[in-house]
Amino acid sequence: MSSPLLEIEGLSGSFRSPNGALTPVLHDVSFAVPRGTVTAIVGETGSGKSLTALSILGIQPPTFQRSAGRILFDGRDLLTLKPEEMRGIRGRRISIVFQDARAALNPVFTVGRQLADVHRLHHGGSASRAMKRTIEALRAVSIPEPERRARQYPHEFSGGMAQRAMIALAALVCEPELLILDEPTTGLDVTIQAAIMELIGDLVRERGLTACLITHDLGVVAETCDRVVVMNAGRVVETGTTEAIFTRPRQDYTRRLLAASQLGETPEMIEA
Amino acid sequence: MRAEPYVVLRTSGLTKLYPVGGSRRLVALSGVDIDLAEGETLALVGESGSGKSTFARCALRLVEPSDGDVLINGRSIRSLGALGLAELYGEVQMVFQDPNASLNPRMTVRQVVHEPLRLHLRMPFAKREKRAIELMEMVGLTPAHLDRYPHELSGGQRQRVGIARALAAEPNIVILDEPTASLDVSVRGQMLELLKRLQAELKLAYLFISHDLQVVRHMADRVAVMYLGGIVESGRTEDVFARPLHPYTRALLSAAPVARWGVKRQRLRLAGEIPSPIDPPDACRLVGRCPMQQPACTTRRPPLIDAGGGHAVACPVVLA
Repeated sequence: MSSPLLEIEGLSGSFRSPNGALTPVLHDVSFAVPRGTVTAIVGETGSGKSLTALSILGIQPPTFQRSAGRILFDGRDLLTLKPEEMRGIRGRRISIVFQDARAALNPVFTVGRQLADVHRLHHGGSASRAMKRTIEALRAVSIPEPERRARQYPHEFSGGMAQRAMIALAALVCEPELLILDEPTTGLDVTIQAAIMELIGDLVRERGLTACLITHDLGVVAETCDRVVVMNAGRVVETGTTEAIFTRPRQDYTRRLLAASQLGETPEMIEA
Repeated sequence: MRAEPYVVLRTSGLTKLYPVGGSRRLVALSGVDIDLAEGETLALVGESGSGKSTFARCALRLVEPSDGDVLINGRSIRSLGALGLAELYGEVQMVFQDPNASLNPRMTVRQVVHEPLRLHLRMPFAKREKRAIELMEMVGLTPAHLDRYPHELSGGQRQRVGIARALAAEPNIVILDEPTASLDVSVRGQMLELLKRLQAELKLAYLFISHDLQVVRHMADRVAVMYLGGIVESGRTEDVFARPLHPYTRALLSAAPVARWGVKRQRLRLAGEIPSPIDPPDACRLVGRCPMQQPACTTRRPPLIDAGGGHAVACPVVLA
């Protein structure tokens, strides 16, 4: 068994307000993301799940001040890297998909241009080759008529299509080892959500990706993820395999979160 | 034999068209008929663009319908003027999705809750204050919250204020537009229990608009599934969930994730995405996406057909 691709050890920190007062928001956060798995970080508003994810890429808000901890990626502590070393990792080895894809894409460039630019940045080569790879990537995430779609602007994409394009960018154009998905289906309709989660599952399996899914939705987790990290109020409450978390939760908070997510449904009702 | 339940809200042929340049029209809502009985919960479910929020707004004439009629407690609201509508809003009230946007940030909770008491019930201050304290306790807040501004409250507390405001004028019908969509799951459960308790205590009829199928199953007596401006299936909640008939309903139900280990879903997949609502063809709304499509589906729009036991579906193919 190889070492985990990502290990977060004892990450703690606070938000600094303009008057200098510190509000602790992360308390000794530790978990590991084994290679080739989809690991979910689950929590409600204010649990620190997104802040933890942003910290991995070094794109946390500037008011966040770390007081302790390490983030080991492939054995190296990302927090000790120089900005230019971090730029070599961000996008190229670790990439991220944000919640609102249409907001994450630049509205004044075509979708194809944005993906092709990123491709050239990471892999070099000619513009025409980059565009060819971009169109292949859009096709691989089941965007119909990728040649035409590549020439369109983000506002011409529906939310679901834009999220497919973002996944094409983060997973296929960047070809990272670790893909972070920060609430990738929040705000999308359930039929679109189901299709996006299937796409993510397929990409991870086919391409041997390691993924970290940040979500508040335990339903999405149950079907897609191998492991679960439950967070609450800046702390890791419990970690385990998805099966263990859903069938044998050890912590009271996990049990309550599960009960709230299931709304008193019985298994018979679901199978009906 | 029980008497027919008293219908508190009935819409017939409710339609909303928006002109979008030239002679083209966007059909947001086309010919929707619903009945909401006294004390029951009818859920409208559907995805974005299905017309469920437009329906709620047209049913209250917050948005002027293009055609059709609405009867509230037996009275048509179609020709009501401003004064008539003001009176109407004593009988039917709405709780909005986002309490951050629907509460005035410059008003204290006291001002928010006093306003309907002043406008609809013309209560003097002392009486209003007494009632406001009652309302706070009814929704699980304390009188101390009356002095707060919305930004000093959590999301769940704000939604409770939205509920208190809606109940202040003692309506018998409440339209709930995605009341839990902006809340965390742990708060969602408390909110639903509160709504159920208030419904039982005050004999309220709820029109419950939601895209969250789990919440609908938990709350509703009856469900109407909307797609592209119309109802494609309706029936008792347990019937629709146990035996969904319309291909769209099946696709929707089978796409909803279940927060439980080892649940295997039989997915029914639709092709493509929801089509444009501008000048739709006279055909089934699901044409081009449906795996069960027949030639006849493209020639006319199927009406809702009775499938027995109050279950109705706008698809002759599944009944054939």
